[in-house]
Formats: sequence, structure tokens, C-alpha cells
Amino acid sequence: MGFLHLFIVNKSGGLILHRPLGQSAPRIGTNEWLRIGSTFHSLHAIAAEASPVKLPGNKNSAGADDGIEEIRGGGLILKCLQTRTGVKFVITAEPGTSDLDAVLREIYVLYSDCALV
Amino acid sequence: MTVHAFHIFDRKGKTLFTKRYSSAVKNQPVQDVELLSEQRKLIFGMLFSLRELVGSLTPEGESPALQSVKTGAGTLHCYETISGLRIALYTNNNPNMGSTARNLDTSKTSFQNALKHIYSELWVDCVVRSPLYRPGDIQVDGHGNDVGRFDIRSTNFEKKLDAYLASMPWFR
Repeated sequence: MGFLHLFIVNKSGGLILHRPLGQSAPRIGTNEWLRIGSTFHSLHAIAAEASPVKLPGNKNSAGADDGIEEIRGGGLILKCLQTRTGVKFVITAEPGTSDLDAVLREIYVLYSDCALV
Repeated sequence: MTVHAFHIFDRKGKTLFTKRYSSAVKNQPVQDVELLSEQRKLIFGMLFSLRELVGSLTPEGESPALQSVKTGAGTLHCYETISGLRIALYTNNNPNMGSTARNLDTSKTSFQNALKHIYSELWVDCVVRSPLYRPGDIQVDGHGNDVGRFDIRSTNFEKKLDAYLASMPWFR
């Protein structure tokens, strides 16, 4: 049970960071990463738009815009934390990895402590 | 767990079958046909792009199939057949199912099994094997006066689907 990748997307869809977190993570080139980042950014919003039921004001319980929180595929779990400022923290992992939400929140705290001056 | 909507798309994105369940409609204002049709196109486009995204992020040796997409408002479960037929089921996020990872995994696989059953036992049996069926001829958004078009209502697919979903422990 391992982590695969971490990527962070800013509020306009541009990629801030991408890094592999384990050996089984597939190798992805930088151009591809930029594409993945912006595609995910758009799909995040479209998922909330396409849902037959919408949350009031389209804001989720954390006060951020509603959107993709988790994607499950065969062989992959993807979790996303969207902050109120529009930054998205996305982590992918093998199925069965636990506590991904807590990990994402911790990464958010570390990001705001260290990366934001 | 409540079911909100159910859609079936073909490879090209055309809607083959769609149904909304009353729990969703109660809280939402009445939407006209155009808007719902646009929403379905969004859903198909999203499923298509998400499949590509998941495919590039999945490690080698694993199957890149999309199983579920969860947002704050609800979860979309999908199943895609080899022929490109996509079945999409919208449910809400049940709080009870988030307790242990094991429970979560089995409930997700049970959705996959349910959708697979809907395809192989209900769709193939009722619709594809119907003597009136012609591939490419199903009209969902039609105006009802196309003679010669295959109409899903001539089969008992919808009744069987409702009965099957109602028998699921997660349907209310």
C-alpha cells in the first residue's frame, strides 16, 4: 500500500508542484504533468456542475467550492483537498492506503507554513 | 444511501437511457429538457476525460478502469463495457460507509457488481435481445413522433431496473 504522486494546482489551474512519492509511481514527463494539472482543475469544477444534486451555494462543508474529492479506479485512489483560496492538493495512491485525507491536510499545513512567505 | 440518477451512454456519447429518481427532484427546481440534455453531455465528457486522466496516473500492470467519482454533493459510480457502453449511477455520500477501509472497498465493489449485473442481465437481456432493437437507433431526447425508432418503453428494461435497484440494500 503506497503513495504514488502528489501534485498541487493553483487557483487558475496552473501546476505548482508535482512529485513522485513511491517506486511504483508511473514516470510522467513535465508537459504531461502540466496537462494533467489543468485537466484536473477543469474536471473538478465540471463534476460539481454535472451532478443532479448540488450543495447550497456550491460550497462544501469546508467552505471551499464543491468538486471532486475522491476518484477510485482499478489500481488507483486519487484524493483532492480544495482550499477556500482555490488551491488544490491532489494525492494518488494504491488502493488500500489509509488516512489519505489526514495526509492531505498535513501537506496543506506544511505548504502554508513553508512555501508561503 | 439514495440513488439520484441513472444514465447509459453509448461509445459516441449519445444517451441511450436516463432516469432521475424522486429524491433528487424534490430539492431541485424543475429543469427543462434542454438543460438536462446539456447536463448529460457534461457527464459523458467528464467520464471520457477522467478515464484518460486515471489511465495516465495508474501504475503499470493495473487496469485503468474508472470506478467512482466522489464530490461533496454525491458520488458517481461508473461501469464501462468493452464495447464502450458506459453506465453511470449517481448516489449520495452515505456517512455510514466511511468507517473502515475494508467496508469501503467491499461497498465499492458491490456497486461495480451491481452495474455489471444491470448491463449483462438487464440491458443485454431486455434491450439488445429485443426483436425490435436496432443499434444506433435509440432515441431518448426525441419528440415522440418518430415512427420506426426503437423505443425503450417497448421493453420492460425500466421496470426490471427499478425492481433491481429497489432490491439493493443501498437504495431508498
